[in-house]
Amino acid sequence: MALASVAERIQISLADYLKRDRRTITPAYSLRDDLGLDSMATIELLFRIEEAFEIQIPDEDLHKLATVGDVIAYVEGKVIPAPQTSAKPATRIASTRKKSASGKKAK
Amino acid sequence: MSARVVITGLGVVSPIGIGIAEFWKAALEGRSGISAITSFADFPLETYRSRVAGQVLNFNPAQYLDATRAERVDRYAQFALVASTEAVTDAGLRMDQEHPHRVAVIVGAGMGGMVMGEREITQLYQNQRPHRVHPNFIPTITLNSASGIVAMAHGAKGPNLTISTACSSSAHAIGQGLQCIRTGQADAVIVVGADASITPLVFAGFCSLRALSTTYNDAPERASRPFDRGRDGFVMGEGAGALILESLAHAKKRKARIYAEVAGYAATSEAYHMVIPREDGAEVATTIRLAMDNAGVTPAQIDYINAHATSTPIGDAVEAKAIRQVFKSRTDRIAISATKSMVGHTLGAAGSIAGAVCALSIQSGQIHPTLNYEDPDPACALAGLTRQSQRRSIKVALLNAFGFGSNNAAVVFKRFA
Repeated sequence: MALASVAERIQISLADYLKRDRRTITPAYSLRDDLGLDSMATIELLFRIEEAFEIQIPDEDLHKLATVGDVIAYVEGKVIPAPQTSAKPATRIASTRKKSASGKKAK
Repeated sequence: MSARVVITGLGVVSPIGIGIAEFWKAALEGRSGISAITSFADFPLETYRSRVAGQVLNFNPAQYLDATRAERVDRYAQFALVASTEAVTDAGLRMDQEHPHRVAVIVGAGMGGMVMGEREITQLYQNQRPHRVHPNFIPTITLNSASGIVAMAHGAKGPNLTISTACSSSAHAIGQGLQCIRTGQADAVIVVGADASITPLVFAGFCSLRALSTTYNDAPERASRPFDRGRDGFVMGEGAGALILESLAHAKKRKARIYAEVAGYAATSEAYHMVIPREDGAEVATTIRLAMDNAGVTPAQIDYINAHATSTPIGDAVEAKAIRQVFKSRTDRIAISATKSMVGHTLGAAGSIAGAVCALSIQSGQIHPTLNYEDPDPACALAGLTRQSQRRSIKVALLNAFGFGSNNAAVVFKRFA
């Protein structure tokens, strides 16, 4: 099975969070204006994303994350430039996929 | 005509001083009580996004409380005991001469006994030895532990209440104390606000909420900067404030010294969001107007505002907007100060410490400075906010306090005449 891209995983994560079809979430969407996330909801979403990608998003970067595309680019920037041994990211993705799969089942 | 209510005693435990004299001197000098966290220095602090706080350093409970009592109460209740004892003494309130059922205790606390709470929960979950949960765990973490202990310490047998409305808890406690006397339930009320939750879990929780300042970890004294353009979140503080409220008749009868009058109060809910205030400031403005109505004063009479001013980007902007909505062109002629710039945000204690500041400002005609107001944010420029202390005759003062849970409170104080 092909590994999901960062963009796909973020879209899945958003769709899961917002309980809506991921195909309706495009990178151009503003988190606030199009997806209706207030600042607290954005923080909750980023909390999930931090966990899923094993990254930390410092407070001073929050203002950079206005659209879905911003979040994708930000996470890609954090995850991709530090290629580690291929085993670790693969496990990470596998475990996240499992988590989101079970989340879907519960719906 | 309901009873007039006056303040006859004050007490405080704060990051800039324990005791009113030390606190007020430090406040007028503009001392910062913000420092690098030492409260849980055994934790890997570098893993916390924020690492500064307004801690009450060198607080030795044994200096104020007997050992048995001290070990049975959590840090926040120790603060409450010390502050309330100072206030009762300051007021010259002799409980042996009072009808005990006519003296109430109202405590505002947002978090309560978190020191023991966190320790016991961690131990149980790690060790799974339920019989090792401390027998004093429940009486300590119950949110009214401080109000019970304060009543016992002073023998106050009137209404004994705890108000927990997060950061507005003890502003509400002052307001409910006022109501308690106005409605004839008590002659005097020991009002206290207290919190001590610079603890690993609570602090981490506020970090996760992205509510705390994170960019001044290397310059702690600069971290709390209400209304400044460089503000980036609040700095958690700890402490307690206490005020003795009395009916004027009762205070006169015992020839008590009067700091100021508590003239009015309003409590509202924005019914909007657990942690985000309404950005247009309309609800805050309404709260201020209702408190002034309740006090029978007009916007033209307010000389001083002790702002809630936590140093969060949105909170300060909303408050400034609301102040401007209410006071319009008069706004810039009102002296304003932000106590949290010195002590941080003491959560449940904040309203009572601010209440003590209002009483002291009215009595002394001095207004403490606001630290770090270096680059006024145009979104909340307030001309009455100064980095130096001000001398100003104050006839009417306003205290603002807002809390998570969509809560607002405002209290109006008057010079006693």
